Amino acid sequence: MKASDTWSADELLTRARGGESSAFATLVRRYQRTVYSIALRMLSDRHRAEDLAQEVFLQLYRAIDSIDSETHLAFWLRKVAVNRAIDRMRQESRHDSEPLTDAVAVADESTEEDPLLHRRMAELVAQLPPAARAVVVLRYQEDLDPVDIASTLDMSINTVKSHLKRSLTLLRARVQGTAIVEDIR
Amino acid sequence: MNTLLKQSILALCGMLSLCAGALAADGQLKLPEFGGLSDKASEVVTITLDPALLGLAARFLDPAKPEDAAVREAIAGIKGIYVRKYVFDTDFVYPQADVESVRKQLSAPGWQRLVEVRSRKEQQKVDIYLLVEQERANGLAIIASEPREFTIVNIVGSIDMKKLHELEGQFGIPKLELEQKK
Amino acid sequence: MSKDFEQQLREALRPVDPEEGFELRVMARIARERSRARTKVTRWVSVALAASVVFAAFLGAHQWQQRREQEGLEARKQLIEALRLTGEKLDIAYQAVNREAPEPADDGSGA
Repeated sequence: MKASDTWSADELLTRARGGESSAFATLVRRYQRTVYSIALRMLSDRHRAEDLAQEVFLQLYRAIDSIDSETHLAFWLRKVAVNRAIDRMRQESRHDSEPLTDAVAVADESTEEDPLLHRRMAELVAQLPPAARAVVVLRYQEDLDPVDIASTLDMSINTVKSHLKRSLTLLRARVQGTAIVEDIR
Repeated sequence: MNTLLKQSILALCGMLSLCAGALAADGQLKLPEFGGLSDKASEVVTITLDPALLGLAARFLDPAKPEDAAVREAIAGIKGIYVRKYVFDTDFVYPQADVESVRKQLSAPGWQRLVEVRSRKEQQKVDIYLLVEQERANGLAIIASEPREFTIVNIVGSIDMKKLHELEGQFGIPKLELEQKK
Repeated sequence: MSKDFEQQLREALRPVDPEEGFELRVMARIARERSRARTKVTRWVSVALAASVVFAAFLGAHQWQQRREQEGLEARKQLIEALRLTGEKLDIAYQAVNREAPEPADDGSGA
């Protein structure tokens, strides 16, 4: 274990702002899982996810002076990662034209009880439109509450809740193999 | 028949939406102040976009982004958008008379009810009206009420319902479908 | 049931690590960028000095522009929210219309 691994995030930030590469590298190690996972769930491709994750950290390197706390850092990384992913998806207009082989591999590596179900769920999330997908990923992967999701995505809370409600209804129905009927009576 | 009926409504709205022109009358409703309701409500949405603010908002829509471009098209002939939404934690704490006073304005000449929805189970009422003048839609009013919530939407100006409908799926606007793999 | 589904969704979206060596690749990329940036420093210093004089003159206008931009972005946000609410209520009406319309005898399509 390196010495920098024991430093707090605030200490790492201070050192990284002072130009210490090892401190910045430790920040990358600590947050790579978060950033990469967001990119992977949004883009559904390991190579593109890695490329985007690298860009996020490159951008962090340029903007490190503006990051003033661990909380701010976590918020900044998620915000940049998800918004870059959404921009990339819209530019490429490739919502889900590639098979979700990477997500399949991810699901199989986990130890959950029903890998087939989880693979199916991951596939379905990968088919959601960009904004809805981002909301679902931030809620169920990053465990953010709707207020934080709204800040991250620059959406109103109502829009976030609308995305969540409708996405869950759709995902549940598709997983269960039933048609969606909204009962308004 | 479902498709035909839906298409008929859209066609009617499409015909009524043809071109912009001089507006004969203002489709703006007089909305109550709803004084004191904010304190009782768990959620309040008050949006007042007059022509100046609409113009400002439009300048910040990026024509290079498809969703922003679609919004620009949808609001091209619109002069104002006014929204009041209140949500409460208990039933019927809002003065229904105030909401009804808005509905009463829609019995004035020119306003035509497009759709009326009544849900007995959820005690939900939704009314959609268009202000039609010389075969043009110059105003839209939506009044939706249920025991713990009411929403009033008033759009003034030349309404293109077809373009409004085409916004579905963007910005959290309803119509959520999974994108089909090729 | 809802809780189970959401918990399963959490498990399905469990975070994963990038491939081994990610940190090294990031630092290598940063090193390349720094190398490129150094060659531009000298050229930019003289440009920056001249620009700073001009910048001071425009600072006031810039601050006004920033305020205007904030107002514009807020107006855009409100516009989007208004259209979202409109669509939400129109959606209820469309669904009601679709549900109420009787099926013709020869229409085989589903609801």
